[in-house]
Amino acid sequence: MSAIVAVRNVTKDYKLGSVTVPALRGVDLDVPKGEFLSIAGPSGSGKTTLLNLIGCVDTPTSGTVMLDGQSSKELSERQLTDLRLHKLGFIFQSFNLVNVLTVFQNVEFPLLLQRTHTAQERKKRVSELLEQVGLGTYLQHRPNELSGGQRQRVAVARALVTRPQIVLADEPTANLDSVTGSNILDLMKDMNRKFGTTFIFSTHDAKVMSYASILVKLADGLIVSNGKAEAKPNGATAPVAEAR
Amino acid sequence: MHGRLEMLGILIRIALQNLFASKLKTLIVGGIICFGALLVVLGSAMTDTIGQGIKGSVIHSLAGHLQVYSDRSKDELALYGGMTGDVDLTPMEDFSKVKQAIAAVPNVKAVVPMGIGEAFAGSGNALDRALESLRAVVKRQLAGETGEAIDREYQARKNFVRRMVGLFEKELGGAIAQAVEPTAADRQSFEDLKRSASDEFWAEFEKDKLAGLEFLENKVAPQALEGDMLFVRYVGTDPQAYQQAFDRFEIAEGQMIPPGKRGILLGKVYYDQWLKMKTAFRLDRIHDGLAVGRTIAKDEELKRFVKENTQQVRDIVTQLDELGEKEMVGRIQKELGSQETELGKLLVQLFQTDDGNFERRYQFFYEQLAPMLRLYSVQVGETITIKAFTKSGYVKSVNVKVWGICQYRGMEKSQFSGMMSVMDLMSFRDLYGYMSAENLAEIDKLKQAAGARQVDRENAEADLFGGGGEVVAEAKAQGFDENALLDKAARRTDQSEKTYTREELEKGVALNSAIVLEDPSKAEETRAAIEAVIAKEKLGLKVVDWQKASGMVGQFVNMLTLVLFTAVLIIFAVALVIINNSMVMATLQRIKEIGTLRAIGAQRRFVLGMIGVETLAVGLLFGALGSALGSGLVKLIAMRGIPATSDEMYFIFSGPALRPYLSGTNLVIAFAIVLVVSVLSAFYPAVIATRITPLEAMSSEE
Repeated sequence: MSAIVAVRNVTKDYKLGSVTVPALRGVDLDVPKGEFLSIAGPSGSGKTTLLNLIGCVDTPTSGTVMLDGQSSKELSERQLTDLRLHKLGFIFQSFNLVNVLTVFQNVEFPLLLQRTHTAQERKKRVSELLEQVGLGTYLQHRPNELSGGQRQRVAVARALVTRPQIVLADEPTANLDSVTGSNILDLMKDMNRKFGTTFIFSTHDAKVMSYASILVKLADGLIVSNGKAEAKPNGATAPVAEAR
Repeated sequence: MHGRLEMLGILIRIALQNLFASKLKTLIVGGIICFGALLVVLGSAMTDTIGQGIKGSVIHSLAGHLQVYSDRSKDELALYGGMTGDVDLTPMEDFSKVKQAIAAVPNVKAVVPMGIGEAFAGSGNALDRALESLRAVVKRQLAGETGEAIDREYQARKNFVRRMVGLFEKELGGAIAQAVEPTAADRQSFEDLKRSASDEFWAEFEKDKLAGLEFLENKVAPQALEGDMLFVRYVGTDPQAYQQAFDRFEIAEGQMIPPGKRGILLGKVYYDQWLKMKTAFRLDRIHDGLAVGRTIAKDEELKRFVKENTQQVRDIVTQLDELGEKEMVGRIQKELGSQETELGKLLVQLFQTDDGNFERRYQFFYEQLAPMLRLYSVQVGETITIKAFTKSGYVKSVNVKVWGICQYRGMEKSQFSGMMSVMDLMSFRDLYGYMSAENLAEIDKLKQAAGARQVDRENAEADLFGGGGEVVAEAKAQGFDENALLDKAARRTDQSEKTYTREELEKGVALNSAIVLEDPSKAEETRAAIEAVIAKEKLGLKVVDWQKASGMVGQFVNMLTLVLFTAVLIIFAVALVIINNSMVMATLQRIKEIGTLRAIGAQRRFVLGMIGVETLAVGLLFGALGSALGSGLVKLIAMRGIPATSDEMYFIFSGPALRPYLSGTNLVIAFAIVLVVSVLSAFYPAVIATRITPLEAMSSEE
C-alpha cells in the first residue's frame, strides 16, 4: 500500500516567550492508505503537534509533510484550507459542533463549503451517514440536546461526509466514558472498513491504542516505536448503541 | 456550480441562529441601532421640516433664489436685519442696468429691485377718529339737517369724545402730577386737558361747536399721538414685478398697489400681531392653540391670554359711543343670558372662557361684536405716515396709502414672510434719503440761491454774526424764493396721486435685487453665469444665495442641522463603541467555533461573511424597525402637531404648530448611517475573527 501521508525529518518548535520549546525533533513517518493508525504517548510527547502538521492546520519548522504526494509547505493558506476541506476530516476531543446548527446542518456544512453537491445529494448523503452512526432520528436536534457520545457520533459523521482520504482525530475518546469511547472507536473502525478511509488518531489510553492497526509511539518529540499493532481484543462489530 | 446561493443561505442561517442564540447581545445592539435610526428619522424630519419651512418662507417671500447687491457695501446683505439692526448697503445707482444684464442670463425668471428699511409709522389716534366722526355730524347739523335721529347721533358721538377726553385727562394728568420736574409745556398741556374734561368746556361747546372741535383737535388730540406709533419693516420694490416674481404672494384684503402708484401693503402676520386689537389677537392665539391640542386648563400661556382679555376690556369699551355700547350690551346679554347692564362686566364674563365654551364665544365675538369694533388700528384704505431716519440722519416722512394686506400662500402664519410689508419703490427712495446726482445738483443750486455756505465750527460765530451788514443785505437781496420752495413742497404732497412709469421706477436706486430662477436646482450654474455677466459688464455686484442673504435666519437653519448632526454623531459614536465592544466579546466567545469551521475547510472570507451578515442582519432589521418606528412617530406628531407655546417657537415653526413630514431622503440617510455604523462597528471584531486559526479548534479546553 502506498503512503498517503509521508512525514520527512520534521521538527516543530514553539516559542514560549524567549524560550524555544521543541515539540517535534525530527520525525519520519509513512502512513499507508486505509490504515487505522494510532499515535500514542504521554502528555507533551508531541502527538497533537504531529497530528496538527498532518492535518495541515500547522506547518513544520523544518522537514516536509506530504499529503497524497503534495507538500504542505508549498501550499498557500487558502490552498491548505481547500485541502482540509476536500481531503481531510477532523474529529475533535471536545466534539466542536456548531451549537446553533442542527445535527443535520452540522454534518451538511462541509458539503455546503464544497459547493459541488445539489441539495438533494446533500440530503441523501447526510441522512444516510447519520443513519449509519445511529442518529437517524436526531436530524433536527441541536448538539446541546445530545449526550457526549451522540455528539461525537455527529462529529464522526461530519468528518466523513465529504468522503475524505484521511480522518484525523485528536484524542477522540478523552471526553467520553470508557463504554461510550469504545463504541465511538468501533464506529470509526467500522467506517474505516466500509469506506477505506485512513484514520489517524492520537491517544494516551492503552485500551484505545489496542484498536489501532499501526501503533506509533512518541516520546519527547521523537518516534520511539512504529509497528503493526496486535489484533483488536473486542469485537469490532458491536452494535452502536449507548445510553444517553 | 452549486452553492453561491446556498452558501449565502448557510451564512445567513448561522448568522441568524447566532443572533437568536445570544438574544441579550442582539437586543442590546439592536436596541441601540433601533434607537439611533429612530432618532435620525425623527430628528432629520423635524429639522428638515423646520428648515424647509424657513427656506420656503424666505425664498418665496423676499429673497428669491439669489440676491445681488453692491460689492462696495460695508456690511453683508441681511434681509431680516443683521446682529445690530439694519445693515449698511451701498446702493445700486441705476437698477435698470442691473436688470437688463442679469435678466438676459438663462434660467433667470425675474429680477426684482428692492430696498429694505425699518421705520416708525403713525396713524391717527383713536381720539382723532372720534373727533372726525363728531365733526362729520356737526357739519351735517350746520348744513341744516335736523331731527331726532341726527340729534341722538350727535349726542352719542359727543358723549363718546367727552368720555375719551375724561379718560385721557385721568391718565395723562396722573403722569404729569407724578413727573419730577414738569416743564412749562407739560403744565400747559395738562391745563388744556383739564379744561377739555370740564363741564364748562362742554357747555361752551354747545355754543360754538367748531371752535370746540378745533381746540380738541389741536390742543388735546396731539397729546394722545404717541400711543399709536408703530414700528414697520418694509421692502421697497416694484410691486407689480414683485407680485409676478413671487408666485405665492397674494392680497389677503384690499387690493394691489396699482401700477406706478405709491402705497404700502402690510404683511398679514405683522398686521395681526401689531395692529390688531390685542383682545382679538389673543382670542386668535387661543383659537390656534386649541386647534393643535393645547388646553386652557393646562397651558399657562393660554391661561394668561384668557386672564389678560378679562383685564383689558377697556380697549373695547372706549371704542364705543352710547349707541354702540347699548347695542353691544344687548348682544352679550342675549348670548350669556345675563341681566348685567354694565358693558365692562359683561365683557369680563364673556372672556372668562374655558376649554368648553371658548369656541362658541370666539365665534360670537367675530360674528356679533367684531363688526361693531375697529379691529385694527390701521384699516385698509387709510393713509399712514412713515417716518424714517435717512442715511444721513435726517428724519424723512412720507404718507403712504395702505392699499391692502398681503400674505403668501401656504405660509400664512410664517413670521419670516408675514412680518414684512411691501412698499412702492419711490416711497422707499424718499425714506432712504438717497440723493441722486440730479437731486444733489438741485440742492446745491438752492443753497447758492439762498446764500448758504459752509462755515467752520471755529469761525462760525464770526462768520454768522460778526461780519458786516453787507452779507445780510446781500442775502436778503438775493433772497430765496419761498414760493418756489413751497411749490416744491406742494408738489411733494401731490406725489401720492402721481403715477410713475416703469422706466422711472427702474432707472433709479435699489439696494439689492432678488433673482428668481426658473429651475432652482440649477442655482449654482446660474449663479456662475450671473457672476460672469457682472464681471463682464463691470456692474460691481456681489451674488449670494438665499441662505447667505437672509443673514442670521439662514444661519439658524444651518445651526439647527448642526445641532441635530452633533447629537446624532454623539449617539452613534457611543453606539459604535458599545456595538463594537459586544461584537468583540461575542467573537472571543466563538473562537473555538470559528477555529473549527476553519479547520474543517471554511475560508477566511467565509468567516468574514459570517460576521458581516450577522452585523448587517442586526443593522437592517433593527435599523428598519427604528426607521419604521421613527416614521410612525413622525406621522403621529404630524397628526397632532407640536404646538408652539411661545413666540420664539411660533417663529421657528413658521406657524402655531410644527407638523413634521418625512421625505424619502430622510429614510435613506437614516438607513445609510445605520449601515455605516454597523459595518464600522463590525470591522474590528471581523479582523479578530479572520485571525483565528484552525489550531484554536484543537485546544482541548472546553
